[in-house]
Amino acid sequence: MKAFGLFAACLALQGCASVGVEPWQRDVLARPEMSLDTNPVDAAIDDHIYFSKEASSGGRGFGGGGCGCN
Amino acid sequence: MSDDNNVSATLAAATCALLGASAAAPVMAEEAERWSFDTALLYYGESDDRVQDVSATIGAQRAFEDERLLNLTLTADTLTGASASGAIATDTPQTFTSPSGRAVYTTPAGKAPLDDTFLDTRFALNVGWSQPLARLYTLSAGLGFSTEYDYTHLGANVSLARDFNKRNTTVTAGLAYSEDDIDPVGGAPLPLSQMLDVGDQSNKRTSDSKDVIDVLLGVTQVLSRNTLLRVNYSYSQSSGYLNDPYKILSVVDGVTGDAILRTPAPGVLGPTGVYLYEGRPDSRAKHSLYAEMKHAFGAPVLYGSYRFMTDDWGIDSNTTEVRLRWPVGDTSYVEPQLRYYMQSQADFYHPSLVQGAALPAYASADFRLGEFDAVTLGLKFGHRTMGGNEWSARVEYYQQSGTIDRDQLIGNQFAREQVPDLKAVIAQFGYRFGL
Repeated sequence: MKAFGLFAACLALQGCASVGVEPWQRDVLARPEMSLDTNPVDAAIDDHIYFSKEASSGGRGFGGGGCGCN
Repeated sequence: MSDDNNVSATLAAATCALLGASAAAPVMAEEAERWSFDTALLYYGESDDRVQDVSATIGAQRAFEDERLLNLTLTADTLTGASASGAIATDTPQTFTSPSGRAVYTTPAGKAPLDDTFLDTRFALNVGWSQPLARLYTLSAGLGFSTEYDYTHLGANVSLARDFNKRNTTVTAGLAYSEDDIDPVGGAPLPLSQMLDVGDQSNKRTSDSKDVIDVLLGVTQVLSRNTLLRVNYSYSQSSGYLNDPYKILSVVDGVTGDAILRTPAPGVLGPTGVYLYEGRPDSRAKHSLYAEMKHAFGAPVLYGSYRFMTDDWGIDSNTTEVRLRWPVGDTSYVEPQLRYYMQSQADFYHPSLVQGAALPAYASADFRLGEFDAVTLGLKFGHRTMGGNEWSARVEYYQQSGTIDRDQLIGNQFAREQVPDLKAVIAQFGYRFGL
């Protein structure tokens, strides 16, 4: 099972090798709003609200917590 | 000919990029070694005088040489209002002993019982550090601490990321551990024990604790010049005291579905019905698969995310979120947002328990463990000032609509609203600046 996982990971990485851009093609990706962590404070606030009101948490990063609200 | 032109153009762009980068490098290094701040003031308010929260957050980031980063986040929350207790609505007023065990509160006839003794102030501090380890590796580590009147959290996390394929692929592995102490108002009730009269604390323990281990594996992939994808798998294992110490279940008649009435001891105040404190399993394992993508359509940027979660309590959930950041002029943007969430109920979710029937091993009537859908509609406006700072305002509307399986309702319960919709407004003002 572990060997299969490793094999799948290698295959996925090989697959990724053909996807992507050259370093000088990163003009759009370099824009601040293209970062996946553009608004860490908004994301933390949302995670905290949804953690308090729903039975799911985390996904984007480590699961929410540190609160007696759930 | 056209190929030659393309090659020349590419080479020219590459040369410019390299020259630009080397020329800009000293300036960037100088600018990078500064503090930048991201602050937010938040109001969260539920309808019908339920939970109200005012919260302030200050995030500070300090960049050092060699791409080393320090992150600090401080949050203060003030919560007031009423929270659903889990007891069913009935045709007569219901009286409950408050969590402190020193007083009672009464819910009017026909209303889902709300515990209005809810009041808390919370402070949270998170510290994070990240730095390159070798040319392609980045190490991140963090510590978190939060404190409330009845709850203390201590957590630590570490993660390692490695870039592949000209930094088009980043693989991340992370581990987090937290230890939380719960010291409920009036003590932690024994699971499935009965709510007692004022002054009788014989079914309460002083405090309890839980710990959580999280493992996260992620891949971030550049798909094209304007598209970025991230996929995370995470596993979370919680053990210890996982109950909400303030949540209860009504014990009802098996035919009418009405609450079983009781009379407090002579001369003492106490509950007028039979209510049991909830009892959840003492461990929970969650698996989540999360994917998010950003795509630039010229200037506008579309964000989409999806999460599937499943756990060994029998809860499955699906979450989808879409945001579109649309520039307005050169310095502003608007960002509409739509989120849809749905979850199935926990195996041990019971709207009520039947008198005389064998007690289940675990039971909770907490609406958050029931089946519901939730929608968030939001709009954000942001504006960059002449000085390069940015302010933003965000307004959101959140609504939960619960469903109780008809097999779980009894007699007169069908005629009463057992899961009132939760409606909340979220307003946030943010300001980002550098020093």
